[in-house]
Amino acid sequence: MRIKVLFFGAAGDIVGKRDDELDVREGAAAKDVLDALAARFPKLAGHKLHIAVDQEYASPATAVHSDNEIAVFTAVSGG
Amino acid sequence: MDFCEMTTERIDISSVARRVVPPECGATVTLDGYARRFTKKDGRVLETEHLVYEAYPEMALKEMQKLVARAKAEFEVSAVGIVHRTGRLEIGETSVVISVAAPHRRAAFAACEWLIKELKRTVPIWKKEVYADGEAWAEGESNA
Repeated sequence: MRIKVLFFGAAGDIVGKRDDELDVREGAAAKDVLDALAARFPKLAGHKLHIAVDQEYASPATAVHSDNEIAVFTAVSGG
Repeated sequence: MDFCEMTTERIDISSVARRVVPPECGATVTLDGYARRFTKKDGRVLETEHLVYEAYPEMALKEMQKLVARAKAEFEVSAVGIVHRTGRLEIGETSVVISVAAPHRRAAFAACEWLIKELKRTVPIWKKEVYADGEAWAEGESNA
Protein backbone atom coordinates (compact mmCIF):
# COMPACT_ATOMS: atom_id res chain seq x y z
CA MET A 1 0.00 0.00 0.00
CA ARG A 2 1.08 3.57 -0.56
CA ILE A 3 1.36 5.91 2.42
CA LYS A 4 2.11 9.60 2.67
CA VAL A 5 4.73 10.68 5.21
CA LEU A 6 5.30 14.18 6.58
CA PHE A 7 8.79 15.23 7.75
CA PHE A 8 9.61 17.86 10.35
CA GLY A 9 12.72 19.41 11.88
CA ALA A 10 16.09 17.92 11.03
CA ALA A 11 14.36 14.94 9.38
CA GLY A 12 12.90 17.28 6.75
CA ASP A 13 16.29 18.78 5.98
CA ILE A 14 17.92 15.35 5.78
CA VAL A 15 15.44 13.95 3.25
CA GLY A 16 15.27 17.30 1.46
CA LYS A 17 11.48 17.54 1.43
CA ARG A 18 8.56 18.03 3.77
CA ASP A 19 6.47 15.10 2.55
CA ASP A 20 6.89 11.99 0.48
CA GLU A 21 5.03 8.87 -0.62
CA LEU A 22 6.25 5.44 0.35
CA ASP A 23 5.21 1.88 -0.52
CA VAL A 24 4.94 -0.52 2.42
CA ARG A 25 3.24 -3.90 2.71
CA GLU A 26 -0.38 -4.22 3.84
CA GLY A 27 -0.52 -4.57 7.61
CA ALA A 28 2.74 -2.67 8.08
CA ALA A 29 3.61 -1.19 11.46
CA ALA A 30 5.33 2.05 12.38
CA LYS A 31 8.67 0.23 12.61
CA ASP A 32 8.32 -0.93 9.00
CA VAL A 33 7.83 2.68 7.89
CA LEU A 34 11.01 3.75 9.70
CA ASP A 35 12.94 0.82 8.21
CA ALA A 36 11.74 1.69 4.70
CA LEU A 37 12.73 5.32 5.19
CA ALA A 38 16.17 4.37 6.52
CA ALA A 39 16.72 2.24 3.42
CA ARG A 40 15.60 5.03 1.10
CA PHE A 41 17.40 7.85 2.91
CA PRO A 42 20.61 6.38 4.41
CA LYS A 43 21.46 9.73 5.99
CA LEU A 44 18.55 9.24 8.38
CA ALA A 45 20.51 6.43 10.05
CA GLY A 46 22.24 7.74 13.12
CA HIS A 47 19.31 9.94 14.06
CA LYS A 48 16.79 8.85 16.63
CA LEU A 49 13.49 9.17 14.81
CA HIS A 50 10.00 9.49 16.20
CA ILE A 51 6.85 8.62 14.34
CA ALA A 52 3.33 9.88 14.85
CA VAL A 53 0.19 8.28 13.43
CA ASP A 54 -2.83 10.57 13.12
CA GLN A 55 -1.09 13.17 15.27
CA GLU A 56 -0.38 10.81 18.18
CA TYR A 57 3.04 9.40 19.16
CA ALA A 58 3.21 5.84 17.89
CA SER A 59 5.10 2.81 19.19
CA PRO A 60 7.09 0.55 16.81
CA ALA A 61 4.15 -1.90 16.74
CA THR A 62 1.46 0.67 15.92
CA ALA A 63 -0.37 -0.41 12.75
CA VAL A 64 -0.41 2.02 9.83
CA HIS A 65 -2.97 2.29 7.05
CA SER A 66 -2.99 4.17 3.79
CA ASP A 67 -5.46 6.74 5.12
CA ASN A 68 -3.40 7.56 8.24
CA GLU A 69 -1.54 10.83 8.61
CA ILE A 70 2.02 9.69 9.29
CA ALA A 71 4.76 12.04 10.45
CA VAL A 72 8.44 11.35 11.08
CA PHE A 73 10.72 13.68 13.02
CA THR A 74 13.81 14.01 15.18
CA ALA A 75 13.68 14.86 18.89
CA VAL A 76 11.57 17.95 19.49
CA SER A 77 13.27 21.16 20.65
CA GLY A 78 10.61 23.78 21.19
CA GLY A 79 10.34 26.18 24.09
CA MET B 1 -10.40 29.78 30.53
CA ASP B 2 -7.49 27.56 29.43
CA PHE B 3 -5.94 28.14 26.04
CA CYS B 4 -3.19 26.77 23.77
CA GLU B 5 -2.22 28.68 20.66
CA MET B 6 0.40 28.85 17.93
CA THR B 7 1.25 32.14 16.27
CA THR B 8 3.73 33.62 13.83
CA GLU B 9 3.20 37.08 15.33
CA ARG B 10 5.02 38.76 18.19
CA ILE B 11 3.60 37.55 21.56
CA ASP B 12 2.29 40.15 24.02
CA ILE B 13 3.32 38.54 27.33
CA SER B 14 1.19 40.63 29.66
CA SER B 15 -1.97 40.10 27.64
CA VAL B 16 -1.41 36.33 27.79
CA ALA B 17 -0.87 36.53 31.55
CA ARG B 18 -3.98 38.64 32.13
CA ARG B 19 -6.18 36.15 30.27
CA VAL B 20 -5.77 33.73 33.19
CA VAL B 21 -7.06 35.58 36.23
CA PRO B 22 -9.90 33.51 37.72
CA PRO B 23 -11.65 35.00 40.78
CA GLU B 24 -10.53 32.18 43.08
CA CYS B 25 -6.88 32.78 42.20
CA GLY B 26 -4.31 34.98 43.89
CA ALA B 27 -1.22 34.47 41.72
CA THR B 28 -0.23 33.86 38.12
CA VAL B 29 3.26 32.61 37.28
CA THR B 30 4.29 33.46 33.71
CA LEU B 31 7.31 32.06 31.88
CA ASP B 32 8.69 34.26 29.10
CA GLY B 33 10.98 32.07 27.00
CA TYR B 34 12.96 34.08 24.45
CA ALA B 35 15.67 33.71 21.84
CA ARG B 36 19.16 33.49 23.35
CA ARG B 37 22.20 34.92 21.58
CA PHE B 38 24.97 32.94 23.29
CA THR B 39 24.78 29.16 23.77
CA LYS B 40 27.53 27.09 25.40
CA LYS B 41 28.12 23.82 23.58
CA ASP B 42 31.00 21.36 23.94
CA GLY B 43 33.14 23.97 25.70
CA ARG B 44 32.57 26.56 22.97
CA VAL B 45 30.22 29.53 22.91
CA LEU B 46 28.03 29.72 19.82
CA GLU B 47 26.62 33.09 18.81
CA THR B 48 23.14 32.85 17.33
CA GLU B 49 22.10 35.42 14.73
CA HIS B 50 18.42 34.47 14.74
CA LEU B 51 16.17 31.45 15.31
CA VAL B 52 13.65 29.65 13.13
CA TYR B 53 10.97 27.55 14.81
CA GLU B 54 9.05 24.91 12.88
CA ALA B 55 5.98 23.09 14.21
CA TYR B 56 3.66 20.24 13.37
CA PRO B 57 0.85 22.58 14.33
CA GLU B 58 -2.15 20.27 14.67
CA MET B 59 -0.24 17.75 16.78
CA ALA B 60 1.53 20.49 18.75
CA LEU B 61 -1.81 21.93 19.84
CA LYS B 62 -3.07 18.47 20.83
CA GLU B 63 0.06 17.78 22.87
CA MET B 64 -0.15 21.19 24.56
CA GLN B 65 -3.80 20.55 25.46
CA LYS B 66 -2.80 17.20 27.01
CA LEU B 67 -0.16 18.97 29.11
CA VAL B 68 -2.69 21.53 30.32
CA ALA B 69 -5.12 18.77 31.34
CA ARG B 70 -2.34 16.89 33.18
CA ALA B 71 -1.11 20.03 34.92
CA LYS B 72 -4.60 20.79 36.16
CA ALA B 73 -4.99 17.19 37.40
CA GLU B 74 -1.63 17.05 39.18
CA PHE B 75 -1.24 20.58 40.60
CA GLU B 76 -3.58 22.86 42.54
CA VAL B 77 -3.95 25.30 39.65
CA SER B 78 -7.07 26.85 38.10
CA ALA B 79 -6.12 28.02 34.63
CA VAL B 80 -3.28 27.59 32.13
CA GLY B 81 -2.48 29.46 28.94
CA ILE B 82 0.28 28.49 26.50
CA VAL B 83 1.25 30.45 23.38
CA HIS B 84 4.16 29.33 21.17
CA ARG B 85 5.53 31.31 18.27
CA THR B 86 6.93 29.80 15.07
CA GLY B 87 8.82 31.18 12.09
CA ARG B 88 11.78 33.55 12.33
CA LEU B 89 12.59 35.10 15.71
CA GLU B 90 15.20 37.74 16.38
CA ILE B 91 17.40 37.61 19.50
CA GLY B 92 15.42 38.54 22.61
CA GLU B 93 12.03 37.95 21.02
CA THR B 94 9.62 35.74 22.93
CA SER B 95 9.21 32.20 21.63
CA VAL B 96 6.90 30.78 24.29
CA VAL B 97 4.70 32.08 27.08
CA ILE B 98 3.21 29.82 29.74
CA SER B 99 0.89 31.43 32.30
CA VAL B 100 -0.45 29.43 35.25
CA ALA B 101 -3.02 30.87 37.65
CA ALA B 102 -3.54 29.32 41.08
CA PRO B 103 -5.15 30.17 44.40
CA HIS B 104 -1.62 30.21 45.87
CA ARG B 105 1.74 30.84 44.18
CA ARG B 106 3.59 27.67 45.15
CA ALA B 107 1.47 25.40 42.95
CA ALA B 108 1.66 27.89 40.08
CA PHE B 109 5.49 27.91 40.16
CA ALA B 110 5.63 24.11 40.29
CA ALA B 111 3.12 23.64 37.47
CA CYS B 112 4.81 26.22 35.23
CA GLU B 113 8.20 24.52 35.66
CA TRP B 114 6.64 21.13 34.93
CA LEU B 115 4.82 22.48 31.85
CA ILE B 116 7.91 23.96 30.17
CA LYS B 117 9.93 20.82 30.91
CA GLU B 118 7.25 18.61 29.34
CA LEU B 119 6.65 21.00 26.43
CA LYS B 120 10.35 20.80 25.49
CA ARG B 121 10.17 16.99 25.66
CA THR B 122 6.89 16.19 23.93
CA VAL B 123 5.37 19.04 21.89
CA PRO B 124 6.36 18.71 18.20
CA ILE B 125 8.13 22.01 17.65
CA TRP B 126 11.74 22.33 16.46
CA LYS B 127 14.25 25.15 16.84
CA LYS B 128 16.94 25.93 14.29
CA GLU B 129 19.81 28.15 15.43
CA VAL B 130 21.21 30.29 12.61
CA TYR B 131 24.79 31.53 13.06
CA ALA B 132 26.87 33.92 11.00
CA ASP B 133 28.57 30.92 9.36
CA GLY B 134 25.97 28.18 9.36
CA GLU B 135 22.94 26.72 11.10
CA ALA B 136 21.95 23.76 13.25
CA TRP B 137 18.80 22.21 14.62
CA ALA B 138 18.84 22.37 18.40
CA GLU B 139 19.27 18.95 19.93
CA GLY B 140 16.07 18.06 21.71
CA GLU B 141 15.74 15.89 24.74
CA SER B 142 14.46 12.36 24.31
CA ASN B 143 10.76 12.20 23.51
CA ALA B 144 7.79 10.51 25.10
